[in-house]
Amino acid sequence: MTVAALAQETAPQPPASSLGKLAWQWRHNPKLELWLSWYTILVFYNVFGIVFFGITRTQPPPKAWWDLPKIVWWFHDKGWGLLVGFGIIFVMGAFATASTALITYSIRRMSVSPAFAWSYLILYSLAAVPGMLLTCIALVTGAMRPDRDPRLMGLLYDMGFLSFSGTMGIFLIGSVVWGVAILLDENAILPKWFGYFNICNALTEVVVATCCVLKSGPFAWDGVIAFYINMVVFGIYTGLFITYLRKMIEREDMDSPQVRGIR
Amino acid sequence: MTEVARARPTSSDDGQERMPGQSDMWVLVMIEAITFSSYFVVYTIYYCRSAEAFLRSQSQLDLALGVINTLILLASSWSVARCVERARAGDHRAATRNLALTAGGGLLFAALKLHEWSVEIGRGNFFSTDEFFSFYYFLTGMHLLHVLVGFIALGVVYYQLKSPARRSLEVIETGATFWHMVDFLWVIIFALLYVMR
Repeated sequence: MTVAALAQETAPQPPASSLGKLAWQWRHNPKLELWLSWYTILVFYNVFGIVFFGITRTQPPPKAWWDLPKIVWWFHDKGWGLLVGFGIIFVMGAFATASTALITYSIRRMSVSPAFAWSYLILYSLAAVPGMLLTCIALVTGAMRPDRDPRLMGLLYDMGFLSFSGTMGIFLIGSVVWGVAILLDENAILPKWFGYFNICNALTEVVVATCCVLKSGPFAWDGVIAFYINMVVFGIYTGLFITYLRKMIEREDMDSPQVRGIR
Repeated sequence: MTEVARARPTSSDDGQERMPGQSDMWVLVMIEAITFSSYFVVYTIYYCRSAEAFLRSQSQLDLALGVINTLILLASSWSVARCVERARAGDHRAATRNLALTAGGGLLFAALKLHEWSVEIGRGNFFSTDEFFSFYYFLTGMHLLHVLVGFIALGVVYYQLKSPARRSLEVIETGATFWHMVDFLWVIIFALLYVMR
């Protein structure tokens, strides 16, 4: 019997109440840190979805071709939503790091060079979170004083939505790094097909680059190809990686030399 | 043929038919097929909306170059199939030769595609010129990106063939499957961009 299993075996029986069970898990579950990270991811993506799609209505994005009066109207119309919604993101934005941390952990558990894990960690630490926050800062700045010069409002509008789409390039490389690590891995931490899905996700995210060139049609930032199809693939990909990280934690043997080696 | 049959082309140890290559690769093929199909549907919708403008731009494409590109890619697909067949028969030298032919076809395809783009750019047809050329550069560009990824797959096949210590038939078939997908996607892109009018 492993040390972690023994510790769980010798621990007092979990109480019947929900709060008691939670406290028991907190004290005795050897995978507590992993589960905390996983639930943080779950909370983050739910809040992210509610804020971007519901409160601020910045997703699906408004038209890229709008003229300045329309952009100023948009900031007036969405003002409170932008301020409240992105205020929540300013508080909870750092939760996104849990996803980076757990994915980095999954790569460290694989039989590949640690360079994969460090590359992934650095890519996301330096780019993904600031990229997301830059969108929020630009749009909140516009919403805070919507009576600014319309040309400045146009600048904030473009900057906000382009920085959101622009960070896709980082997700793309991160997806490739994780995908290649899964394909090379011999410890079967994640299924091989998911490695291929990572590559597929990266290839579809290339499409977003077109939004820097065209302001209308399927290749604009609100276009059916550059946004909608890409978002569907990314949505499925996100759901899958959250599910498979959960499965990874469930299977994890906390006493194995590989796990102890990276803890 | 008998040699190939002896080499158990697509049957497992219990004699049942099996899918060539890793089943995981077929997931990628399925996802790519669905994603590209969605691009094709969007293209067709935009085409139907302004058929006249699309036809005008489409007529500027060099059909002959498109046909040559298609033949090259079909030939490379045939040679990668020959590569798998030879690998199954244990003739790894011939398999490597066929693999080199495949890579050569891929390189020629990429070079011709770049030439075609330079011709179109020379005529003043850019990505932002009109909707047809946006789709043209997008679809052919996305496909070319898959061809480049295909070179990595061919590299993996070569790595397997090179040493007697490796030579995993499953990995060789997996690489070939990706190359066939690249070919299959091109045939549809060719039909949509060059032929469908």
